[in-house]
Amino acid sequence: MGRRGRFDQRGEIAIISTRQAHFAPRLSRFLALCCLALGCLALAACDAPQSALAGAGRESAEVASFFWVMLAAAALVWLAVMGVAVLGVFRPPARVTERAARWLIVGGGVVFPTIVLAGLLYWGLGLLAERNTAEADLRITVQGERWWWRVTYERPRVPADDDPQRGRASSAIARVVSANEIRLPAGEPVEFVLHAQNVIHSFWIPSVAGKMDMIPGRETRLVATATRPGVYGGVCAEFCGTAHALMRFAVVVEPKEAFETWLRAQAAPARKPLASAGARGADLFVSSGCGACHRVRGLIEAGEVGPDLTHLASRRTLAAGIAPMTGEALVRWIRSPQSMKPGALMPAYAMLPPDEIDAIAGFLLGLE
Amino acid sequence: MSTGAKEELRRTSGSGTDLWNVVQPPTIWAVHFLISYLAAAILCARADRTAPLDPVFWTVMTATAVALMLIALVVLRLWRVEKFSTVDEDLEFERNTPEERHRFLAHVSLMLSVLSAVGVLYVAMPVLLIDTCR
Repeated sequence: MGRRGRFDQRGEIAIISTRQAHFAPRLSRFLALCCLALGCLALAACDAPQSALAGAGRESAEVASFFWVMLAAAALVWLAVMGVAVLGVFRPPARVTERAARWLIVGGGVVFPTIVLAGLLYWGLGLLAERNTAEADLRITVQGERWWWRVTYERPRVPADDDPQRGRASSAIARVVSANEIRLPAGEPVEFVLHAQNVIHSFWIPSVAGKMDMIPGRETRLVATATRPGVYGGVCAEFCGTAHALMRFAVVVEPKEAFETWLRAQAAPARKPLASAGARGADLFVSSGCGACHRVRGLIEAGEVGPDLTHLASRRTLAAGIAPMTGEALVRWIRSPQSMKPGALMPAYAMLPPDEIDAIAGFLLGLE
Repeated sequence: MSTGAKEELRRTSGSGTDLWNVVQPPTIWAVHFLISYLAAAILCARADRTAPLDPVFWTVMTATAVALMLIALVVLRLWRVEKFSTVDEDLEFERNTPEERHRFLAHVSLMLSVLSAVGVLYVAMPVLLIDTCR
């Protein structure tokens, strides 16, 4: 019986090894292809404007380096575990004392993970501590709405009392209301103060910093320093309703001087349209009731339920980051917002004659 | 009856409080976590965002020292049970006897003690690095 059993075992081992010889080249080709595909994927992701590995901000660069270190460490641990497993399968059973086996389990299963995790925790907490104590002069209040972003720029620290003249002048540009696009000065820490109107959102600019939840009735904060000028993508990262996936925004990081120029321009009221077509659009904007929800500073300042449109045309995207700022998209949006963003709360204005919609869109595109 | 004889009787009769030993270390960990969390939450709810965490630091440090000491006491007691064997010293608790059951439960509790001690240390780490409510 014993002999027979051994014979069978050997026969089986022989069969397995011929199969292995047959599959080995195919397997290695498959593995090589997988590695290539993963590598391409990784490289493609690194350059995207919405990649957390792009490193366009101080905080995201720190998190990215943390990620790479963790990835490398995880790969090493994986290789070690797989190595031991392969060794265990293919090597003839070695004589290992119970004591040695126990030490391997205690060392590899308790001591090693405890020390590694403690190190990672220490590093991660250090990042958190540093991030939370950064001081920022520029405060950007972002309120999550259904399904867009209300953005307010302020400089609360600008001294107002030591020089009243300067104080008043700077407080004139100290509060600027905008929506659905965020501009950041490169190299300057910015404090985001985050609110939500009625449902939970999460504010995330993967290439720069984040993410941080926006909770109704609460105030959360996030300090971030964008470092590399460019245009990046921001998203809502917490399911918030029908149009959650269409709740995005563009982030423009530019040199400090350009940012200040832009901020001053944004603080000014809308320019009166000179051309008669624009004037007709402005009249229609008011008479059609758009002003009940949308504010255009200098023209109509009644409602603020919807996004502020004072400098709409200076933004890159329409409807919270989902369409380019073109006349065509604007016309489509006014006629039927729900066809572009299902669930959008703005009513459709399909009952307006096409030439009136065109005139309103023309007026809005003049609001730079 | 001497202590040794009492212990002997307890082992062979199968009476004892082993299950309580199993839950002790995780309970110490849980209480330590609650104290640390509540101390920080209450302080920061009352104070400003920039308030220093010093009182919390000392609370957590004291709680950590006490928790580790209690876990050490549990470990000492369990160690004696786990080490004591009239049949074999190994970790295969294959015999259906009160002693093997005691030793098995003691072994489980010992490992839970190690886990709880590590948990307590990890819970204490944030106050070493974060010093304000922000």
